[in-house]
Amino acid sequence: MATSSSGGDKFTRNLVIAMVALVVVVGAGFSYFGSKGSTTAAIPSSVSKDDGYGIVFNADVPNVPTIDIYEDFQCPVCARFAGINGMTIEKVIEEKKAKVVYHVLSFLGTESILAANASACAADEGKFLAFHKAFYNNQPAENAGAINADFLKSVGAAVGITSPEFATCVDNGGYADWVRNVAEAAAKANVNSTPTVFVNGKEIDRNTDYFNVEAFAKAIAG
Amino acid sequence: MILNLIEKFALGKYGKWFGLLCRLTLGGVLFAAGWLKIFTPTKSQMAVRAYEVLPISLANFLGIFLPWFEVGLGVLLILGIGVKLSAFFGGALMVLFIAAISQAWARGLSIDCGCFGGGGTVDPGETKYLSEILRDIGLALMGLYLFRYPLTRFAVEKLTKTERE
Repeated sequence: MATSSSGGDKFTRNLVIAMVALVVVVGAGFSYFGSKGSTTAAIPSSVSKDDGYGIVFNADVPNVPTIDIYEDFQCPVCARFAGINGMTIEKVIEEKKAKVVYHVLSFLGTESILAANASACAADEGKFLAFHKAFYNNQPAENAGAINADFLKSVGAAVGITSPEFATCVDNGGYADWVRNVAEAAAKANVNSTPTVFVNGKEIDRNTDYFNVEAFAKAIAG
Repeated sequence: MILNLIEKFALGKYGKWFGLLCRLTLGGVLFAAGWLKIFTPTKSQMAVRAYEVLPISLANFLGIFLPWFEVGLGVLLILGIGVKLSAFFGGALMVLFIAAISQAWARGLSIDCGCFGGGGTVDPGETKYLSEILRDIGLALMGLYLFRYPLTRFAVEKLTKTERE
Protein backbone atom coordinates (compact mmCIF):
# COMPACT_ATOMS: atom_id res chain seq x y z
CA MET A 1 0.00 0.00 0.00
CA ALA A 2 2.95 2.29 -0.53
CA THR A 3 1.96 5.62 -1.92
CA SER A 4 3.94 7.31 -4.60
CA SER A 5 4.15 10.47 -2.51
CA SER A 6 5.76 8.78 0.47
CA GLY A 7 8.88 10.92 0.08
CA GLY A 8 6.76 14.06 0.21
CA ASP A 9 4.96 12.77 3.27
CA LYS A 10 8.21 12.34 5.03
CA PHE A 11 9.29 15.88 4.21
CA THR A 12 5.99 17.30 5.42
CA ARG A 13 6.22 15.27 8.58
CA ASN A 14 9.71 16.50 9.37
CA LEU A 15 8.62 20.04 8.63
CA VAL A 16 5.70 19.81 11.05
CA ILE A 17 7.89 18.24 13.74
CA ALA A 18 10.47 20.99 13.25
CA MET A 19 7.79 23.66 13.50
CA VAL A 20 6.36 22.20 16.69
CA ALA A 21 9.87 21.96 18.13
CA LEU A 22 10.48 25.60 17.23
CA VAL A 23 7.26 26.71 18.94
CA VAL A 24 8.26 24.72 22.04
CA VAL A 25 11.68 26.34 22.21
CA VAL A 26 10.46 29.86 21.48
CA GLY A 27 7.55 29.50 23.90
CA ALA A 28 9.80 28.22 26.67
CA GLY A 29 12.16 31.12 25.94
CA PHE A 30 9.33 33.61 26.34
CA SER A 31 8.25 32.01 29.60
CA TYR A 32 11.81 32.14 30.85
CA PHE A 33 12.48 35.76 30.04
CA GLY A 34 8.95 36.74 31.05
CA SER A 35 9.44 35.39 34.55
CA LYS A 36 12.98 36.66 34.95
CA GLY A 37 13.67 39.45 37.38
CA SER A 38 15.12 42.82 36.54
CA THR A 39 17.99 44.62 38.20
CA THR A 40 16.47 47.96 37.28
CA ALA A 41 13.06 47.27 38.83
CA ALA A 42 11.51 50.03 40.94
CA ILE A 43 11.69 48.87 44.52
CA PRO A 44 9.27 49.84 47.29
CA SER A 45 10.54 51.35 50.51
CA SER A 46 11.76 48.98 53.24
CA VAL A 47 12.66 46.37 50.65
CA SER A 48 16.06 44.79 50.77
CA LYS A 49 17.66 43.05 47.81
CA ASP A 50 19.82 41.04 50.20
CA ASP A 51 16.68 39.69 51.85
CA GLY A 52 15.30 38.28 48.60
CA TYR A 53 13.59 41.58 47.74
CA GLY A 54 11.30 41.06 50.72
CA ILE A 55 9.60 43.83 52.70
CA VAL A 56 11.66 44.11 55.87
CA PHE A 57 10.69 45.08 59.39
CA ASN A 58 13.23 45.71 62.17
CA ALA A 59 16.12 45.58 59.71
CA ASP A 60 18.50 47.25 62.16
CA VAL A 61 17.65 45.48 65.39
CA PRO A 62 20.75 43.53 66.47
CA ASN A 63 20.89 39.97 67.81
CA VAL A 64 17.38 38.88 66.94
CA PRO A 65 16.26 35.97 64.76
CA THR A 66 15.24 36.57 61.15
CA ILE A 67 11.79 35.36 60.17
CA ASP A 68 11.10 35.03 56.44
CA ILE A 69 7.44 34.66 55.52
CA TYR A 70 6.51 33.63 51.97
CA GLU A 71 2.90 34.13 50.94
CA ASP A 72 0.71 34.62 47.92
CA PHE A 73 -2.16 37.05 48.48
CA GLN A 74 -4.51 34.73 46.63
CA CYS A 75 -3.65 31.58 48.57
CA PRO A 76 -6.53 30.60 50.88
CA VAL A 77 -4.22 28.79 53.28
CA CYS A 78 -2.21 32.02 53.61
CA ALA A 79 -5.40 33.80 54.69
CA ARG A 80 -5.93 31.08 57.29
CA PHE A 81 -2.31 31.38 58.39
CA ALA A 82 -2.58 35.16 58.67
CA GLY A 83 -5.80 34.83 60.65
CA ILE A 84 -4.19 32.49 63.16
CA ASN A 85 -0.71 34.00 63.48
CA GLY A 86 -1.12 37.60 62.30
CA MET A 87 -1.36 38.98 65.83
CA THR A 88 1.71 37.06 66.96
CA ILE A 89 3.77 38.35 64.06
CA GLU A 90 2.63 41.94 64.51
CA LYS A 91 3.50 41.76 68.19
CA VAL A 92 6.96 40.36 67.45
CA ILE A 93 7.53 43.22 65.01
CA GLU A 94 6.22 45.84 67.44
CA GLU A 95 8.35 44.58 70.32
CA LYS A 96 11.38 44.30 68.04
CA LYS A 97 11.92 40.66 68.98
CA ALA A 98 12.76 39.61 65.44
CA LYS A 99 13.60 40.87 62.00
CA VAL A 100 10.59 39.97 59.86
CA VAL A 101 10.72 39.75 56.07
CA TYR A 102 7.55 39.42 54.01
CA HIS A 103 7.95 37.88 50.55
CA VAL A 104 4.82 38.44 48.49
CA LEU A 105 4.79 35.72 45.85
CA SER A 106 2.65 35.67 42.73
CA PHE A 107 2.60 32.10 41.45
CA LEU A 108 -1.19 31.84 41.52
CA GLY A 109 -1.65 34.21 38.61
CA THR A 110 -2.02 37.78 37.46
CA GLU A 111 -4.32 38.82 40.29
CA SER A 112 -1.58 37.82 42.73
CA ILE A 113 0.73 40.25 40.93
CA LEU A 114 -1.85 43.04 41.27
CA ALA A 115 -2.25 42.36 44.98
CA ALA A 116 1.51 42.14 45.57
CA ASN A 117 1.99 45.41 43.71
CA ALA A 118 -0.68 47.09 45.84
CA SER A 119 0.92 45.78 49.04
CA ALA A 120 4.17 47.43 47.93
CA CYS A 121 2.27 50.67 47.37
CA ALA A 122 0.95 50.31 50.92
CA ALA A 123 4.50 49.68 52.17
CA ASP A 124 5.48 53.03 50.68
CA GLU A 125 2.83 54.56 52.94
CA GLY A 126 4.18 52.66 55.92
CA LYS A 127 1.01 50.57 56.05
CA PHE A 128 2.01 47.20 54.66
CA LEU A 129 0.92 45.26 57.75
CA ALA A 130 -2.46 46.97 57.95
CA PHE A 131 -3.08 46.42 54.24
CA HIS A 132 -1.94 42.82 54.50
CA LYS A 133 -4.33 42.12 57.36
CA ALA A 134 -7.30 43.87 55.76
CA PHE A 135 -6.70 42.07 52.47
CA TYR A 136 -6.69 38.63 54.07
CA ASN A 137 -9.78 39.46 56.09
CA ASN A 138 -11.56 40.13 52.80
CA GLN A 139 -9.69 37.75 50.50
CA PRO A 140 -11.72 37.24 47.30
CA ALA A 141 -11.91 33.93 45.43
CA GLU A 142 -8.86 32.96 43.40
CA ASN A 143 -8.54 34.45 39.90
CA ALA A 144 -12.22 35.34 39.73
CA GLY A 145 -11.64 38.86 38.50
CA ALA A 146 -12.46 40.31 41.92
CA ILE A 147 -8.95 41.52 42.67
CA ASN A 148 -8.74 44.66 40.58
CA ALA A 149 -7.57 48.22 41.14
CA ASP A 150 -10.90 49.32 42.64
CA PHE A 151 -10.91 46.49 45.13
CA LEU A 152 -7.28 47.05 46.11
CA LYS A 153 -7.87 50.78 46.59
CA SER A 154 -10.89 50.03 48.77
CA VAL A 155 -8.72 47.73 50.92
CA GLY A 156 -6.25 50.59 51.22
CA ALA A 157 -8.98 53.06 52.10
CA ALA A 158 -10.25 50.72 54.80
CA VAL A 159 -6.93 51.03 56.61
CA GLY A 160 -6.68 54.76 56.05
CA ILE A 161 -4.57 54.97 52.92
CA THR A 162 -6.23 57.70 50.95
CA SER A 163 -3.32 59.44 49.25
CA PRO A 164 -3.45 59.99 45.51
CA GLU A 165 0.05 58.47 45.28
CA PHE A 166 -1.31 55.16 46.52
CA ALA A 167 -4.11 55.21 43.96
CA THR A 168 -1.68 56.00 41.15
CA CYS A 169 0.69 53.32 42.34
CA VAL A 170 -2.08 50.71 42.35
CA ASP A 171 -3.35 51.79 38.94
CA ASN A 172 0.05 51.83 37.29
CA GLY A 173 1.31 48.54 38.63
CA GLY A 174 4.77 50.05 38.71
CA TYR A 175 6.14 47.41 41.07
CA ALA A 176 5.35 44.50 38.73
CA ASP A 177 9.05 44.05 37.92
CA TRP A 178 9.84 43.97 41.60
CA VAL A 179 7.14 41.29 42.08
CA ARG A 180 9.00 39.13 39.55
CA ASN A 181 12.24 39.74 41.45
CA VAL A 182 10.59 38.51 44.64
CA ALA A 183 9.39 35.38 42.83
CA GLU A 184 12.80 34.71 41.32
CA ALA A 185 14.54 35.09 44.67
CA ALA A 186 12.05 32.71 46.31
CA ALA A 187 12.68 30.17 43.56
CA LYS A 188 16.38 30.34 44.33
CA ALA A 189 15.63 29.96 48.04
CA ASN A 190 13.76 26.72 47.23
CA VAL A 191 10.39 27.86 48.52
CA ASN A 192 7.90 25.28 47.28
CA SER A 193 4.68 26.18 48.98
CA THR A 194 2.78 29.03 50.57
CA PRO A 195 2.76 29.91 53.33
CA THR A 196 6.37 29.04 54.07
CA VAL A 197 8.15 30.35 57.15
CA PHE A 198 11.89 30.28 57.67
CA VAL A 199 13.47 31.13 61.01
CA ASN A 200 17.13 31.99 60.53
CA GLY A 201 17.01 30.30 57.13
CA LYS A 202 15.47 27.06 58.36
CA GLU A 203 11.84 26.10 57.74
CA ILE A 204 9.63 25.58 60.77
CA ASP A 205 7.84 22.23 61.04
CA ARG A 206 5.03 21.98 58.49
CA ASN A 207 3.33 19.22 60.46
CA THR A 208 2.95 21.10 63.71
CA ASP A 209 3.95 24.76 63.66
CA TYR A 210 1.91 26.55 61.03
CA PHE A 211 -1.65 26.60 62.27
CA ASN A 212 -1.33 26.54 66.03
CA VAL A 213 -0.87 29.83 67.86
CA GLU A 214 1.31 28.45 70.68
CA ALA A 215 3.42 26.19 68.48
CA PHE A 216 4.00 28.99 65.99
CA ALA A 217 4.99 31.49 68.66
CA LYS A 218 7.44 28.98 70.05
CA ALA A 219 8.85 28.10 66.63
CA ILE A 220 9.59 31.71 65.70
CA ALA A 221 11.14 32.56 69.05
CA GLY A 222 14.42 31.41 67.46
CA MET B 1 2.96 -15.50 24.76
CA ILE B 2 1.14 -12.41 25.88
CA LEU B 3 3.26 -10.44 23.45
CA ASN B 4 1.97 -12.67 20.68
CA LEU B 5 -1.58 -11.92 21.71
CA ILE B 6 -0.88 -8.20 21.72
CA GLU B 7 0.74 -8.47 18.32
CA LYS B 8 -2.24 -10.32 16.98
CA PHE B 9 -4.59 -7.69 18.36
CA ALA B 10 -2.48 -4.79 17.11
CA LEU B 11 -2.33 -6.12 13.57
CA GLY B 12 -5.96 -7.20 13.63
CA LYS B 13 -9.15 -5.36 12.89
CA TYR B 14 -9.20 -3.16 15.99
CA GLY B 15 -5.50 -2.53 16.40
CA LYS B 16 -5.43 0.80 14.60
CA TRP B 17 -8.55 1.96 16.40
CA PHE B 18 -6.94 1.17 19.70
CA GLY B 19 -3.89 3.07 18.44
CA LEU B 20 -6.11 6.07 17.79
CA LEU B 21 -7.50 5.80 21.31
CA CYS B 22 -3.97 5.70 22.73
CA ARG B 23 -2.91 8.68 20.62
CA LEU B 24 -5.84 10.80 21.71
CA THR B 25 -5.56 9.78 25.37
CA LEU B 26 -1.80 10.18 25.77
CA GLY B 27 -1.75 13.22 23.47
CA GLY B 28 -4.78 14.78 25.11
CA VAL B 29 -3.41 14.29 28.62
CA LEU B 30 0.00 15.70 27.65
CA PHE B 31 -1.54 18.68 25.90
CA ALA B 32 -3.90 19.47 28.78
CA ALA B 33 -1.21 18.98 31.41
CA GLY B 34 1.17 21.28 29.57
CA TRP B 35 -1.43 23.90 28.71
CA LEU B 36 -2.57 24.24 32.32
CA LYS B 37 1.00 25.04 33.41
CA ILE B 38 2.22 27.24 30.58
CA PHE B 39 0.75 30.44 31.96
CA THR B 40 2.00 30.06 35.53
CA PRO B 41 5.71 29.31 35.09
CA THR B 42 6.69 30.21 38.65
CA LYS B 43 4.15 27.75 40.00
CA SER B 44 5.36 25.07 37.65
CA GLN B 45 8.95 25.69 38.77
CA MET B 46 7.78 25.33 42.35
CA ALA B 47 6.18 21.98 41.53
CA VAL B 48 9.41 20.61 40.07
CA ARG B 49 11.51 21.90 42.98
CA ALA B 50 9.18 20.22 45.46
CA TYR B 51 10.35 16.78 44.30
CA GLU B 52 13.73 17.65 45.84
CA VAL B 53 15.67 15.63 43.30
CA LEU B 54 17.30 18.12 40.98
CA PRO B 55 19.57 21.06 41.72
CA ILE B 56 17.41 24.17 42.08
CA SER B 57 18.58 25.83 38.88
CA LEU B 58 17.87 22.72 36.80
CA ALA B 59 14.48 22.27 38.48
CA ASN B 60 13.62 25.88 37.66
CA PHE B 61 14.64 25.33 34.04
CA LEU B 62 12.53 22.18 33.75
CA GLY B 63 9.58 23.93 35.36
CA ILE B 64 9.54 26.30 32.42
CA PHE B 65 10.54 23.91 29.64
CA LEU B 66 8.44 20.82 30.49
CA PRO B 67 4.97 22.37 30.01
CA TRP B 68 5.89 23.54 26.51
CA PHE B 69 7.45 20.17 25.71
CA GLU B 70 4.28 18.42 26.85
CA VAL B 71 2.13 20.66 24.68
CA GLY B 72 4.37 19.96 21.68
CA LEU B 73 4.19 16.19 22.16
CA GLY B 74 0.45 16.42 22.72
CA VAL B 75 -0.09 18.28 19.45
CA LEU B 76 1.98 15.77 17.47
CA LEU B 77 0.18 12.79 19.00
CA ILE B 78 -3.28 14.25 18.50
CA LEU B 79 -2.53 15.11 14.87
CA GLY B 80 -0.77 11.83 14.32
CA ILE B 81 2.51 13.19 13.07
CA GLY B 82 5.82 11.66 14.09
CA VAL B 83 3.85 9.22 16.23
CA LYS B 84 6.73 6.85 16.89
CA LEU B 85 9.00 9.64 18.04
CA SER B 86 6.45 11.55 20.12
CA ALA B 87 5.12 8.32 21.66
CA PHE B 88 8.67 7.47 22.66
CA PHE B 89 9.20 10.80 24.39
CA GLY B 90 5.69 10.80 25.86
CA GLY B 91 6.19 7.31 27.30
CA ALA B 92 9.67 8.16 28.55
CA LEU B 93 8.29 11.27 30.29
CA MET B 94 5.71 9.11 32.05
CA VAL B 95 8.44 6.72 33.23
CA LEU B 96 10.38 9.69 34.61
CA PHE B 97 7.23 11.00 36.34
CA ILE B 98 6.60 7.57 37.87
CA ALA B 99 10.17 7.49 39.17
CA ALA B 100 9.93 11.03 40.52
CA ILE B 101 6.60 10.46 42.29
CA SER B 102 7.75 7.09 43.67
CA GLN B 103 10.89 8.56 45.20
CA ALA B 104 8.85 11.38 46.76
CA TRP B 105 6.50 8.80 48.24
CA ALA B 106 9.33 6.57 49.44
CA ARG B 107 11.13 9.47 51.09
CA GLY B 108 7.98 10.57 52.87
CA LEU B 109 7.69 13.96 51.19
CA SER B 110 4.20 15.37 51.03
CA ILE B 111 3.81 17.01 47.65
CA ASP B 112 1.24 17.34 44.93
CA CYS B 113 2.57 15.90 41.66
CA GLY B 114 1.83 19.19 39.94
CA CYS B 115 0.90 17.26 36.84
CA PHE B 116 -1.96 19.53 35.81
CA GLY B 117 -0.84 22.75 37.41
CA GLY B 118 -0.84 23.05 41.17
CA GLY B 119 2.00 21.23 42.84
CA GLY B 120 4.35 22.02 45.64
CA THR B 121 4.23 20.94 49.24
CA VAL B 122 0.81 19.94 50.57
CA ASP B 123 -0.56 18.68 53.87
CA PRO B 124 0.53 15.09 54.53
CA GLY B 125 -3.10 13.91 54.30
CA GLU B 126 -3.56 15.35 50.84
CA THR B 127 -1.10 13.29 48.83
CA LYS B 128 -2.43 10.92 46.19
CA TYR B 129 0.69 9.14 45.07
CA LEU B 130 -0.90 5.79 44.23
CA SER B 131 -3.51 7.12 41.83
CA GLU B 132 -0.95 9.40 40.22
CA ILE B 133 1.42 6.49 39.65
CA LEU B 134 -1.29 4.16 38.33
CA ARG B 135 -2.44 6.82 35.87
CA ASP B 136 1.09 7.39 34.64
CA ILE B 137 1.69 3.64 34.26
CA GLY B 138 -1.38 3.43 32.04
CA LEU B 139 -0.15 6.35 29.95
CA ALA B 140 3.36 4.91 29.72
CA LEU B 141 1.94 1.63 28.39
CA MET B 142 -0.03 3.56 25.78
CA GLY B 143 3.19 5.28 24.75
CA LEU B 144 4.90 1.91 24.47
CA TYR B 145 2.07 0.50 22.35
CA LEU B 146 2.23 3.48 19.98
CA PHE B 147 5.99 3.22 19.77
CA ARG B 148 5.67 -0.40 18.70
CA TYR B 149 2.58 0.08 16.50
CA PRO B 150 2.65 3.70 15.30
CA LEU B 151 0.25 3.14 12.42
CA THR B 152 -3.18 4.28 13.62
CA ARG B 153 -6.54 5.48 12.34
CA PHE B 154 -7.05 9.11 11.33
CA ALA B 155 -3.41 10.08 11.55
CA VAL B 156 -2.33 13.00 9.38
CA GLU B 157 0.92 11.28 8.62
CA LYS B 158 1.04 8.34 6.23
CA LEU B 159 3.98 6.18 7.14
CA THR B 160 6.38 5.37 4.36
CA LYS B 161 6.63 1.81 3.17
CA THR B 162 9.84 0.97 4.96
CA GLU B 163 8.55 2.30 8.28
CA ARG B 164 5.42 0.23 7.98
CA GLU B 165 7.24 -3.05 7.89
